[in-house]
Amino acid sequence: MSDQSNVKFRLNNSELWGGLIGLALGGFVIWSGLKLKLGTINDPGSGFVLFYTGILMCLFAASIIIAALTEGGPTFGSRWVNTRWTKPLLVIVCLVAFSFALNPLGFLLSAIPLMLLLLRVVDPVRWPLAVPIALLVPLGMWWILKRLLLIQLPSGIFEIG
Amino acid sequence: MDTLVNVAHGLGVALQPVNLIYCFVGVFIGTLVGVLPGIGPISAMSLLLPITLSGTPESGIIMMAGIYYGSMYGGSTTSILVNIPGEAASVVTCIDGHQMAKQGRAGPALGISAFGSFFAGTFALIALMLVAPKLASVAIAFGPAEYFSLMVLGLVVLTFLTQGSMAKALLMACIGVVLGVVGLDSITAQPRLTFGRIELIDGIGLVPVVMGLFGVAEVLLNTEQVIKRDIINTRITHLLPSREDWKASAGPMSRGTVLGFFLGTLPGGGAVISSFASYALEKRLSKTPERFGNGAIEGVAGPEAANNAAAGGAFIPLMTLGIPPNVVMALLLGAFVIHGLQPGPLMITQNPGLFWGIVASMYIGNLMLLVLNLPMIGMWVQLLKLPYNILFPLIILFTIIGVYCSSNNVFDVYVMIAFGVIGYFMRKLGYEPAPLVLAFVLGPMLENNLRKSLILSQGDLMTFVQRPISAVCLAFALMLLVAPLLPALRKKRELVALDEEV
Repeated sequence: MSDQSNVKFRLNNSELWGGLIGLALGGFVIWSGLKLKLGTINDPGSGFVLFYTGILMCLFAASIIIAALTEGGPTFGSRWVNTRWTKPLLVIVCLVAFSFALNPLGFLLSAIPLMLLLLRVVDPVRWPLAVPIALLVPLGMWWILKRLLLIQLPSGIFEIG
Repeated sequence: MDTLVNVAHGLGVALQPVNLIYCFVGVFIGTLVGVLPGIGPISAMSLLLPITLSGTPESGIIMMAGIYYGSMYGGSTTSILVNIPGEAASVVTCIDGHQMAKQGRAGPALGISAFGSFFAGTFALIALMLVAPKLASVAIAFGPAEYFSLMVLGLVVLTFLTQGSMAKALLMACIGVVLGVVGLDSITAQPRLTFGRIELIDGIGLVPVVMGLFGVAEVLLNTEQVIKRDIINTRITHLLPSREDWKASAGPMSRGTVLGFFLGTLPGGGAVISSFASYALEKRLSKTPERFGNGAIEGVAGPEAANNAAAGGAFIPLMTLGIPPNVVMALLLGAFVIHGLQPGPLMITQNPGLFWGIVASMYIGNLMLLVLNLPMIGMWVQLLKLPYNILFPLIILFTIIGVYCSSNNVFDVYVMIAFGVIGYFMRKLGYEPAPLVLAFVLGPMLENNLRKSLILSQGDLMTFVQRPISAVCLAFALMLLVAPLLPALRKKRELVALDEEV
């Protein structure tokens, strides 16, 4: 909160950037609405609601930007002060890697390493516990889904699972 | 007389063995997620939404409803024993509940919370049975203009009550509307914002969006912190409160029940606000307010009754108008829609078995919670010892499987991960996901009703102010939008928002 006492313009003001992203999104929604055709007030077209929602988005985003410029706001860094910011980052990296691996490798070959990574990277679970959990939980879920509920999870190019 | 016949009909549906099992599973899972910090009813309901597809609509909805009120119940256990709210509505229970536990009175705190929840749940159900059919008969006369205005009011109330900047909450609501209308236009069949992806023709799925924004994002936020648990290790005795405890709690419980039920029925209202409102009311009415915060049983009884009554009250706008007043009800609406049902005024007359079955099952569920959970406190305490570093990978795996099973489509897993990451950054930057999700669910209905009313009135915007119900809703919405500009009201809003944040 100490950042907020200093009202001078700062480029790393997170409120400002949040507002700018909102403004850009609003602009895109307006453009999409126009492209889809607005229709008339008697017979609104497919883009009618999008267009006016986009205008509202721009107005709200503009008010966020104005507040950020006049009142200041916390910096990006201050949002992550006293937190273990690398931990969520690691989880995000694991999830993105998993999403790339899911289709080609299939559920089992991607879920087991994902579980192992998640169990070991954030607050490391002991190997003798982490390995069985990482192996048995995805295998158990796969078995229940495939055998009991007859749901086929992705099997990937190796057709495992 | 009609009500009794309907209740008997509902009991017939709810007492079918399969529905009893679904009800039990629902309240059990609800209590479980209520007990476990880091996973709330929204995540659990979105996680289990695909499972409801396998049974009848009654069974699915009964289970989902069970998760909701079960979590209200379970949340108090964690608040009292660990001083960590299992879910948002139990935040206020931590204040006096944990103090009571520290003074060796965990048993009475847990007991009064269970009995208060049961009492409030029962009251809410009776009120639901009496009010819903009457309101539904009025709601039949609602046209698209009324529906549009009611939805606008619901969204504005929610954004008003969301913590932090109202402009941010309104921006989130707008983004929710935009995401909700992705896919084929229901009137012109023109694809909108699909970017040529065939997976988006039917729109973005509710399950991946909610699981991402609430499930994955919540996990990411929790991994940032070291979750410390100060579990009360003493043996829990005297679960049945003493006569003095009952005497002190009767008033707060009754007031909390009425207040919670009323707040629960309002659009945008819900269990969280009700529990805080009840706590504030009891503190104000108390002759010894200094006891609050130091283990006053009134500070547990009132809010616990209020959050359960609110959970029951929230079913009224959903069942009678088809409008979800909060995110949990929006998810329940999603479950109805998945089964091809549209809750609203016609559902009670056209599908009485479903409506009365759900109502009756809620009463049975409340009984199950009381009978099963008090003796099972020991088990829940053991469960609280499950370390979060083992729990969160499991939550992630279950969300992935849940999302995949809801559509058999890997694309939805990508959508969930994307919304999880977006949700994390949103929360870090102070953008709440609740208005986005409610607007996402209401978006298509909002658009349809707006366009229909404009077509019917031949483009006359006065239709929204000439119809009394619509005019009142819009006037209320406008008032709330203007309120933050007035310094006195702005302060009041910030107070409520801060309270929710605690």
